[in-house]
Amino acid sequence: MENQNSKKENISRKGALKKIGSYGKYAALTALGTYLILNPQKAQATSPENPGTGF
Amino acid sequence: MKEYPKFLYRAVEDKTIVWAENTNEYLVLENTTADILEKIDNGISVKEIAANLTKKIAVPLDKTTDFVLDLEKKIRTPKAKKESITINNYTTVKKPAQFKFTKYYKINSLIFKVEFYSEYELYLVHPKFAHLEVENNYKTSFTFTVFLNNTVVFLSVDNTIIGAWDKKEIHFFQGKFSMELTQKIHQKEENKWLGVFHASAVSNEEKAVLFLGGSGNGKSTSLALLQRSGFTCLADDFVPIDKDKKEVYSFPAAISIKKNSLKTLLPLYPELENSAEYSFERLHKIVRYLKPNNTNLLSHLPCKDLVFIKYEKNSDLKFDRISKIEAFQQLVPDSWLSPIKENAEVFLDWFDTLNCYQITYSKNKKMIASVTKIFNDEV
Repeated sequence: MENQNSKKENISRKGALKKIGSYGKYAALTALGTYLILNPQKAQATSPENPGTGF
Repeated sequence: MKEYPKFLYRAVEDKTIVWAENTNEYLVLENTTADILEKIDNGISVKEIAANLTKKIAVPLDKTTDFVLDLEKKIRTPKAKKESITINNYTTVKKPAQFKFTKYYKINSLIFKVEFYSEYELYLVHPKFAHLEVENNYKTSFTFTVFLNNTVVFLSVDNTIIGAWDKKEIHFFQGKFSMELTQKIHQKEENKWLGVFHASAVSNEEKAVLFLGGSGNGKSTSLALLQRSGFTCLADDFVPIDKDKKEVYSFPAAISIKKNSLKTLLPLYPELENSAEYSFERLHKIVRYLKPNNTNLLSHLPCKDLVFIKYEKNSDLKFDRISKIEAFQQLVPDSWLSPIKENAEVFLDWFDTLNCYQITYSKNKKMIASVTKIFNDEV
């Protein structure tokens, strides 16, 4: 189980990747200013299922 | 004076998760960035913070000053609260005098009477709970009422309107219905819950494992397979976790089985052959419902393992530990998480204790063997 982080491709990111600002050639600042915002669901929800006409 | 939002900080692996009270947002920041935010919060001057940063990363002071100011502006400045998805202006709406359908559901010793105005409302709820239906021979514990008024679905519990949702946001109505049911079954008000996960919860009667994954990844199919292999289905699709015990609680809804899983599951569950089929045309989904095997609907168990599961035709088994930050990114947007600060803190505490895995499989036996290893702490 030492294979950490190797399967990233299968997990999609649903958060928004944001940048705090633009710092030109100062890549270290750009890196520090890159972050992710994750919003939980606004309320309790179930899987979106809605009756169609097939009953 | 501006009311600045309150933050919670939690270092996880090589990042810091920051929770903002005013928006209930979770930010994943670099540790240094989170540290700067915390310093701003603690009243340390921009000048001092920027000077320290310049020393640390060898970037000119004017640039680090800009950075600290930008950080303050972008993240720390109060943001407007999010709008509610419920419709609040329903004071003039009256409960209908008559209901076409009235159903009674028995959950442990509780009897839930649910009134449905028409067939439309019935099918929003009943298919998932049909296995709990009983005749009207008992004393009703709670009465739930569901009715449509124009394009808005109303839910009332014991004659108090709980909420109203546009037909387009019906999964939030269903979520609230499930939440109200959960609160009654487990006798805990909404503020006693940390969150509700869009997951499947499986148990071995001692502990629970959560299965996550996008729609169509095979969560429910995997759950049905595990249930036939001696595990218990604690909850499917709607998995509540409480604040006091930090445990996963059972939820009695049936498991929804999509048409393309029938071939796999029919040999194990012959009863699916004749069970009613429901078509969700808008979503191109045809499902049947499978009764969960949990017999103790009051059960709640600790959960230390989170598994992202995926069925992939002809794939070899992939079973790996994954980073918590990756898991967090997937978990949060799919979950309802309590906006109460104390609860958010407990949620972060709980998350910190988890092991996160990913299983991709095509051979059922290999998947079941991998899950058994997780249950037996053999990973």
